[in-house]
Amino acid sequence: MSADRELKIIFTGPMGAGKTTAIRAISDAPPVSTEVANTDQATVAKATTTVALDYGQLLLEDGTAVSLYGTPGQERFSFMWEILCRGAMGVILLIDGSTPTAAEDLRSYAEAFRRINPDQPFVIGVGRAPPDDHRLDDYAKALSTRGIVAPVFGVDVRNREDVLLLVETLLCVLEAQSFETDHAAH
Amino acid sequence: MQPTSQRFDTAVTEAVRQQLETFVAGTPGTTLAVLTSGDGFEIAAHPRGLPTVQRLAAMSSSLQALSEAMVQEAGLVRIRNLIIESDGGTVIVLGIGKVTPRLSLTVVASGDEILGRLLWASRGCCAALEKRLLASNA
Repeated sequence: MSADRELKIIFTGPMGAGKTTAIRAISDAPPVSTEVANTDQATVAKATTTVALDYGQLLLEDGTAVSLYGTPGQERFSFMWEILCRGAMGVILLIDGSTPTAAEDLRSYAEAFRRINPDQPFVIGVGRAPPDDHRLDDYAKALSTRGIVAPVFGVDVRNREDVLLLVETLLCVLEAQSFETDHAAH
Repeated sequence: MQPTSQRFDTAVTEAVRQQLETFVAGTPGTTLAVLTSGDGFEIAAHPRGLPTVQRLAAMSSSLQALSEAMVQEAGLVRIRNLIIESDGGTVIVLGIGKVTPRLSLTVVASGDEILGRLLWASRGCCAALEKRLLASNA
C-alpha cells in the first residue's frame, strides 16, 4: 500500500457487536481474522469469537492509508487491547443496541480504552438500533458526564457506507484535535 | 453447547490433569502444562491453582490463532507447533489432533530444558491426551 500518510485505528466493543463484520465491510483486501469456535454459548450465543485480532487496510481518496485493527471482545483477552492500542490514533467503539446491557457496555468499554490511552478520541457506532433511536443522545450524554465527548451514530456494520462514516468522523475528530494543538502552540 | 471447560465430565478432566501431572513430573524443567480450549478456556492444568493459568490459557489461544493466520498468509499450509524461546525458558503450544472443538496443550519450561526433548515429550503428551479425550467422546 503506497500512501501519503498512515493511521492506525482500533475497532472495539463487546463480543457480538460487529467488529469483525465492520472491518470486513471496508477493508480493501480480505482481512486477517483470528476467529475460533465459541464454546461459551451460555454467555453469548454466537458461533465464533475473535481471540487475537482482526486486521484490514483501507486506502482513502486523499491518500491516507488506514490500518484497521479489531480487538477481541471478551474481557479475558484484554491483554490484547493494550497491545493493539500501541500507536493507535483513535477508537471506534461498537455497541449492540438491541441488548439490555448496551449502555453499560458503552460505559465499561469507553472507560477501559480511555485508561489505556487517555488522549485518543472515540467514535461510537450503535448497531441493531432503530433509525430514530432516542437512546443515541442518551449514550452521548452519559459519556460526556464521564468526560468522554464522542459522536454517536446508529449503524449497520454490514453496510460499507455506515462503517466508512465512522472512520471518516474519527479522522475529522483527529484533524480538529490537531488544529487545536497547533493553534494552542501559536 | 457448554463451555469447553465444562464439556468434559469430572472424571475425564481429572484423568487429563493426571496425564499432565505425569508429563510434568517426567519432563525435567517443565513448570506448567495447561490443556486449553480454542477460545482460551482452561480445561485442566498442572500444577493446579496457579494465578497465571487463566491468562496464559487465553494468551495461548490468541497466539495460536495469530500463528495460524500468519502461516496461512505466508502460504505455509498448516501450523504444527508454536515455540517461544526466551532468556528464562520456553513456551510450546501444540494442537490436540482430531479433538473438536479445537484444544491445545501449552507447556512452560525453564531454561535448562533441551528444546528437542521438550518438544518430543510434549507431542507424546498430546497423543495421550487425544486418545483419552476421543475415548470420552465416543
